[in-house]
Amino acid sequence: MQEIIIGIGVTALAGALAAIAGAAEDTESNIGSQGDPNSQVQLAPQMGYTHRIYNKAVSGEPPAYTLWVTLACGVAWAFLMLGVNAILAIVFGTVLATFVQGVYATTAYLGRTASLSKFGQPVFIDVIKSVTTVTMAHAFVAIITTVTVCYLMMTVIGHPFALPLLGIVWGLALGAAGSATGNPYYGKERQYQNQKFGAGVPISASGNIVRYAEAGQRSSIDNGFFTAKFGGPASGLCFGLIVFFELWRTILFEDYLAGWGAVIAGAVIIIIFMIIDRYVEVWGRKNYGPYTVEASA
Amino acid sequence: MSVKIEASHDGIPHNKVMVIGAVISLVSLYIAIIGTTLGVDYLAFFGGIAAIGALIWGNSTIKKLCSYGIGTGVPSAGMLAFGSGVIALLFASTLSGISIWIVPVAALILGLVVGLFLGWISNSVLNMKIPVMTRSLAELAAVGSLALMGLGAVATGFVGFMDIATFDLLGVTVYNASYLGAGIIAVSFMLGAIALQHPFNACLGPGEKQDRTNMLAIECGFLSMIVMAVISFAFVSLIAAWISLVVAVIGWAVSYVKYVALSKRDAASWLDAKPFSDSEE
Amino acid sequence: MSAIAAKPGANAGAFQPVPSVIAIVLAIILVVVAYFLGSAGILAGGAMPVLQTLCLIILGAALIAFGVHFVPVGGAPAAMGQAPGIATGVAMLATGAGLAGLFGGAWAAELGLGVALASGAIGGALMMAITCLMVNISYVFGMGIPAASGKVLKDPITGDLQAAYKSQGTEGHGLPFISYVGGVIGGLFGGLGGTLIYIELLNFYNVGLPALGFVGAEGINMLAVGLAGIFAIGMFLVIAVLSAYNITGTIEGPHDPKFKRFPRAIVAAILASAVCGLVAMLVVALF
Repeated sequence: MQEIIIGIGVTALAGALAAIAGAAEDTESNIGSQGDPNSQVQLAPQMGYTHRIYNKAVSGEPPAYTLWVTLACGVAWAFLMLGVNAILAIVFGTVLATFVQGVYATTAYLGRTASLSKFGQPVFIDVIKSVTTVTMAHAFVAIITTVTVCYLMMTVIGHPFALPLLGIVWGLALGAAGSATGNPYYGKERQYQNQKFGAGVPISASGNIVRYAEAGQRSSIDNGFFTAKFGGPASGLCFGLIVFFELWRTILFEDYLAGWGAVIAGAVIIIIFMIIDRYVEVWGRKNYGPYTVEASA
Repeated sequence: MSVKIEASHDGIPHNKVMVIGAVISLVSLYIAIIGTTLGVDYLAFFGGIAAIGALIWGNSTIKKLCSYGIGTGVPSAGMLAFGSGVIALLFASTLSGISIWIVPVAALILGLVVGLFLGWISNSVLNMKIPVMTRSLAELAAVGSLALMGLGAVATGFVGFMDIATFDLLGVTVYNASYLGAGIIAVSFMLGAIALQHPFNACLGPGEKQDRTNMLAIECGFLSMIVMAVISFAFVSLIAAWISLVVAVIGWAVSYVKYVALSKRDAASWLDAKPFSDSEE
Repeated sequence: MSAIAAKPGANAGAFQPVPSVIAIVLAIILVVVAYFLGSAGILAGGAMPVLQTLCLIILGAALIAFGVHFVPVGGAPAAMGQAPGIATGVAMLATGAGLAGLFGGAWAAELGLGVALASGAIGGALMMAITCLMVNISYVFGMGIPAASGKVLKDPITGDLQAAYKSQGTEGHGLPFISYVGGVIGGLFGGLGGTLIYIELLNFYNVGLPALGFVGAEGINMLAVGLAGIFAIGMFLVIAVLSAYNITGTIEGPHDPKFKRFPRAIVAAILASAVCGLVAMLVVALF
């Protein structure tokens, strides 16, 4: 019984930490402009729109976060082996991972921007100074929470995988959840704020991203202010739910029916999510209605 | 170091880069192996140089492959390279049972063989019809295998399977604290996979220059080496770990500064706290 | 930008009979080689277990390749609401679901093969179910855009008409119900295949490592877990990237015409996993 109570406590803690990780991850990737929406940041100067948006083309979010989390896990493990206290070891690992993240971010910005010299896109040193540090801070939060989740899974819950292997699994899941949920909100809603609300960006508008803020020229940090209000929390919810339910179904129901209890519980959860999704889809169709062709168009 | 000489020229053909990268990688691995046979581990940092050699080679291959538009992003090529490379590497490392001296060459050849299969599959079965596909995937698997071996050598000082699968803890042989048992190979895997795809991916664009991309490959290699050097404190002697770390940090700092200088050379303009102007529209 | 241009070529979707037959023959040759290595005692465990291990690894890889084709991924255009699907890379999203399944499967490994496989499959499907739901919530509640497919007129499951809900100048957006179901099925197959590869390799190494001279009870299990884990991840990435090449980066789900290309990916996965699986098993070969 006590084992289950500890398990539930860890599940709740891991879910909460994962929610923080997801929110920080999405905000970080939007401030740095990483992943698929970054294709528009890359495209804009080629269409004649120079801008002051960061261009953190390290790779998609899933591989990048797999690296940050895995290496933080590996370094944390090494410090644990050297007899360092667990919390301190996780912090050391995260600091090194954040450093690596910052270096990759600056080289990506410099590289991509310098390769756009033909289109007159300048390199802004103040952008590097101000934005890189902000993305590093968010990345620190995202990494330390995910590494802590992995550490809890390894030590308290007793998963057979070693810490870096758990880092690969959950770093990838973090990047996948964050990019899937957060990318459209940054790409469509923020970069193309000048386009119609409630409709996709017409392909003809590609590259015409918003480059001016309320006052002056838009900086990537302004994008963080915006997406932190919806895209970030939604990503956090997504990753938090994934971690929570993966642990919850196993810890509570694994003892039933020789292990099949956890499988059945998982299947029921999936069906519930499927029903919710159908409801959301129908709600959207009913309330927004079909698009009507405008007379002027 | 010899690594930096080639970066100062522009327009080096791919075959030359490939030979230079492979030779740097193999020679450095053999130097690291000489260290282990002599019973000293402070030559472990040569593993990092081996990884850098492999990355320079792989970077040139990725550039060639991705200029064809493979339908999905550049990073996937890095993942494919290391996914197949890790399999070739571990089999090669078991051949240390025969002789430690054949391990690096075996990693190269096995990587090429596994990659050849994957390249042929992509080109013929999946009908991608990219002329360089077969050759490129073969090269990438070999690069993945060599880079992993190099990073593993930095962390543990060894390349043989027995040595990376066991760890001597106060005279007792344990498995769960070894390079493989503790999953540290996963760190090498991800470090290498991102470092392999990053230089070309980051310098992508019409103004891409070979020397800048190569300098970034070197920078990524040293950056990965810093991480492995920190982890190596858990495996090798203190002095060896400090040597690796100092070499890695100095190499990284030098290559980073040079990369920034090259970016400044290639950039349209280099502005600090100035707005862009829309005058050219 | 490149993903928009990545339209299928004239015959890019065609099945290639001759190379496919060659690939299958090569895979069978490799399986036979494994059988003889097993009977010769070079691979520990005897001929039949070795054969079974390799065949199940190949089956797992085929399941992964099939599953990747279900995952609705729109790439960069999806991030602008220009194309339906999830706005990320197909290889990494499928791998993310597969590894989430592998996490569940590896955890349940000691409860027997059936439970472990089912747990792996459910783990992958659960990850996709939550992710796809949040994608739709983000489109509907965050951006006020209903889900619409660009490739079919009617959703094959619900029968909803799609064309009227597609905004001007786009190919559709969000995840219609068929894409959602496709995502869950993709996660299911990915988790199942990944777990199958992992469990087979784990059992094989648990037999093979002691034969190689590794002694010492439970430490060996940790080593076997480490080896099987990194190999399962590596092979998953190889198969997922090859499948992503097959669908040239983006797909809407099982109703997309590109879905019909899956036989090619399965043939590719069979040969690729036969090569990688055999080499991975040779790690514990006795020379």
